[in-house]
Amino acid sequence: MHAVGQSVYRKDGWDKVTGTAVYTDDMRMAGMLHAALRISPYAHARIKTVDWEEAGNMTGVRAVLLGESAPLIGEEIRDRPPIAYGKVRYHGEPVAVVVADTPMLARDAADRIRVEYEPLPVLGSPSAVIQPGAPLVHERLGQYEVSPKIYPVANTNIANRTKIRKGDAEKAFTECEVTAENEISFSPSHHAAIETKCCIVKIAADGTVFIITSSQAPYMVKKLLSSAFGIEVGKIEVHTPLVGGAYGGKATIQWEILAYLASRAVGGKPVKLYYTREEDILTAPCHVGLDARVKLGCTADGKLLAAEMVYLFDGGAYADKSPDLSRAGGVDCTGPYRIENVSCDSYSVYTNHPYPGPFRGFAHSEVLFAFERTMDLLAHKLGMDPLELRRINAIVPGDRTPTQVLLNPSNVGNLPRCLERLEALMNWREGRLTRLSARKVRAKGISGIWKNSTIDPFASSGVLLLFNPDGSLNLLSGVVEIGTGTKTALAQMVAEKLKMDVGRIHVKMEVDTRTIPEHWKTVASRGTFMAGRAALAAADDLIRQLKDIASCVLRCVPDDLEVGGERVYLRDDPRTGLPFPQIVYGYTYPNGNAIGGQIVGRGHYILRHLTYLDPETGAGRTGPEWTVGAQGVEVEYDERDHTYVITKAVSVIDIGRVLNPKAAKGQVMGAMSMGLSFAGRETFEFTPGGIVQNPQFRTYRPLRFGEHPEYIVDFVETPQLDAPFGARGIGEHGLIGMPAALANALSLASGTNLNRLPLVPETIWRRKRASHDSL
Amino acid sequence: MIPYDFEYYRPTTAMEAVRMFSALDGQGKSPHYYAGGTEIITLGRLNIVRTGAVIDIKGIRECQALEFAQDELVLGAGLTLTKLEDANPFPLLSKTASEVADRTARNQITLGGNLCGQIFYREATLPFLLTDSRVAIAGTNGTRQLSIHDVFNGPPRLSKGEILLNLTTSRASLALPHVSVKIRKQWKTGYPLITAAAVRMEDRIRVAFSGLCPFPFRSFAMEEALNERTFLAETRIERAILRLPAPILNDSEGSPEYRLFVLRNLLADILSEMEGD
Repeated sequence: MHAVGQSVYRKDGWDKVTGTAVYTDDMRMAGMLHAALRISPYAHARIKTVDWEEAGNMTGVRAVLLGESAPLIGEEIRDRPPIAYGKVRYHGEPVAVVVADTPMLARDAADRIRVEYEPLPVLGSPSAVIQPGAPLVHERLGQYEVSPKIYPVANTNIANRTKIRKGDAEKAFTECEVTAENEISFSPSHHAAIETKCCIVKIAADGTVFIITSSQAPYMVKKLLSSAFGIEVGKIEVHTPLVGGAYGGKATIQWEILAYLASRAVGGKPVKLYYTREEDILTAPCHVGLDARVKLGCTADGKLLAAEMVYLFDGGAYADKSPDLSRAGGVDCTGPYRIENVSCDSYSVYTNHPYPGPFRGFAHSEVLFAFERTMDLLAHKLGMDPLELRRINAIVPGDRTPTQVLLNPSNVGNLPRCLERLEALMNWREGRLTRLSARKVRAKGISGIWKNSTIDPFASSGVLLLFNPDGSLNLLSGVVEIGTGTKTALAQMVAEKLKMDVGRIHVKMEVDTRTIPEHWKTVASRGTFMAGRAALAAADDLIRQLKDIASCVLRCVPDDLEVGGERVYLRDDPRTGLPFPQIVYGYTYPNGNAIGGQIVGRGHYILRHLTYLDPETGAGRTGPEWTVGAQGVEVEYDERDHTYVITKAVSVIDIGRVLNPKAAKGQVMGAMSMGLSFAGRETFEFTPGGIVQNPQFRTYRPLRFGEHPEYIVDFVETPQLDAPFGARGIGEHGLIGMPAALANALSLASGTNLNRLPLVPETIWRRKRASHDSL
Repeated sequence: MIPYDFEYYRPTTAMEAVRMFSALDGQGKSPHYYAGGTEIITLGRLNIVRTGAVIDIKGIRECQALEFAQDELVLGAGLTLTKLEDANPFPLLSKTASEVADRTARNQITLGGNLCGQIFYREATLPFLLTDSRVAIAGTNGTRQLSIHDVFNGPPRLSKGEILLNLTTSRASLALPHVSVKIRKQWKTGYPLITAAAVRMEDRIRVAFSGLCPFPFRSFAMEEALNERTFLAETRIERAILRLPAPILNDSEGSPEYRLFVLRNLLADILSEMEGD
């Protein structure tokens, strides 16, 4: 009986396909009030006056909250008033919160607040804000409270700087025979999860803060609220039911703080705050934008010698997670290649844009777009096949990463094998560019991918396994079910370990921080690894206890016993044994004496040997392993109109071990579609004044059915030895090479260097026209 | 969620509706005629539409017409776009309308709502402009029949309180050779960058556009230039472009320069298809 390696149904599947699954907005509480936001229509302005009298006097309006000078909030830099105070710094920033009896009344009252603004100059581009003398988004940056290992620069717009120095890039460039340089740029965008942000907060009479929230980080909500408002951490209880898509957009803490303030303002009554789509797009943290410069150098036969990068992540109005994003971009600042000399300065900078949270891939699709475009330019200069250039430079065990981690056969997958599979699946040898008709060509583009998870070095995960009287198990983990099926994977692992039917492992989907062991945050493709290790440890703990009690009853030593098929039995005589129901709630002897009790398995895992980065060289280990892969895209391009269709998208990823084939394929396909959507269409359309012109799905359009290419997903399996069953992270990787692969295919098809996203026909047309004009 | 209360009325005759409008307007309720409701709902929740009363016109018989009377097709303003597509009495209309929004939305969006709405693409107007259709308009002085060009060529010119009841199109014009092309910013979803529809009538090409200017239009001056067969196609196109009725739109769908690029190619394709060369 095997559970691992099987396409078992997701434990959350039935509820979801029948429409009965419960999300945060489905929750009600007796006496619940509703909050509505009034948001800024300006990207940068001084708040002159706020007239809330009319709103405040409406019957049924319970409170109107305006900004105050303290406390400032922020995950890495405490720079953000929860409600804007004095100034607004981005379009969509909350300026006031109204609490009322009904959602309608709250909305109506919020609309009646009159705010007078004095517009200020808007800082829109990361490249512009780092120029000397640029106006400052935060004049008081030097005085803010900052987390350790974050390096803001006072009196500038720099929120964090990560320096990576490996070898001597400057010297190595003098030895390079061929070099290529490139600049890329794209604006922030939206995560577009179907469920918008939502939470309910109440404060009990004894001061206990009770929160239900749509979040990837319920344990972080607890810690952040505790530190920001001085609430005893044990008095905060956070519940997270199923989450309707997150993609990193629900890993930051924002709506919970507003709802907490709202509840506090009405004497602790329960208050629900539900973001409209417009607020989800404008107010909530977005997907980061980037300006980047990449320079690569190699020998005449294509061996990479040096890489030099500057990454300017668009940190938006408030730092929050962007310092971590820029650090992650520094850690994996190159593609997955062997390069002895690397220099990278990765910055997160303040602008007057909405501020970013994590986005599936955590800075990797962004950096890879810059780097892998430059790889294609280099291949072009060398007159070398782009896949061949990647193959001869592919990173392998024995090489060192940009942060100088020595790779071994466990902590990195097999990239050469992935490239080989990609070559076959894309029929690469037929040629990259094929003429289909007088106007149409077919073109192929590829990207190498890798990703390490730069999470906090002390991040841990715990699992509890509780027996039911019939011998089935309840699995409790702090992983949030955000749609990735991770909790099903945990059940598969426990079933495999205990040699029992996965259907007999019941999974608690909801997270409750008071009763369920912590999982740091459901981010960074770490669920199956960290919670998986914890689940296996809990299963070991169960097995030990099962053997202990059975050894008493069977009068043998525990070592003589095996567990399987919901029994404990003698290894040498399997017919002699005890079924689970006889021992898991204690064993009762024929005379009525009893021993034992309900068996509880406990397990936890903390990532080991992680270090902070050296501030001067960036040397350090930020995560346990690198998942590698190779991706490609095939397009049909119309040379007259500059329109195109994506016909095929291919991913070959070394995921160590496939735990659930269909679930893994689904994760990769979903991520690929997200990557193509980001690359092909999704962006905030800013006016020069920093106003987002498309804060609705009318005008902000993720990929829809009917627009998808054929997806081809293939796996290589090089086990990560310290991971459960050898499995590597897979939640994000399908996304991260798609923008670069699409841009590489279209650059080839159009005969021009495409370095801006999204790749809409107008972008290509502009680029063609500019290169035509420059000739 | 619409953050205000409003009253709902469902009259059964056009006169009743018009009188109701006038009365409600007199009470300061900023009444809106209501058919599919998609704009009232989606713009109402943003406070872009704010009304104290809606008057549902779907119960008015003339608004539900879908019939041939003598040699003319009459289509009611209260018909949904999907109903028109499925019944398909007017193939060019079916084609143009089928590209509006998505199927779920078109199950609600009505012909009249598309023509009279605030969202200015109003693509269902184009086939009626090309076929010189007539519109029936109800107002305080009764019902009038007007040329579509007097009311819907450009920004709608309905007076306050008037209702579009239905549209009448000659049977002969339904069978004209036609094309309908919607070009979007990217792929298959979204508002038009440009939607163009064209018919050929007695060797003359008629073209109407949406997305080029902030209103749908058919320009006789442009058509004249396009039909000057003595010139090469490229020349005719350039001369037609000089006669655009208003500056080209500049919004998040596309810049004016890019729309012009798209327009040139689009017109070349239309000429080539309609003139068969």
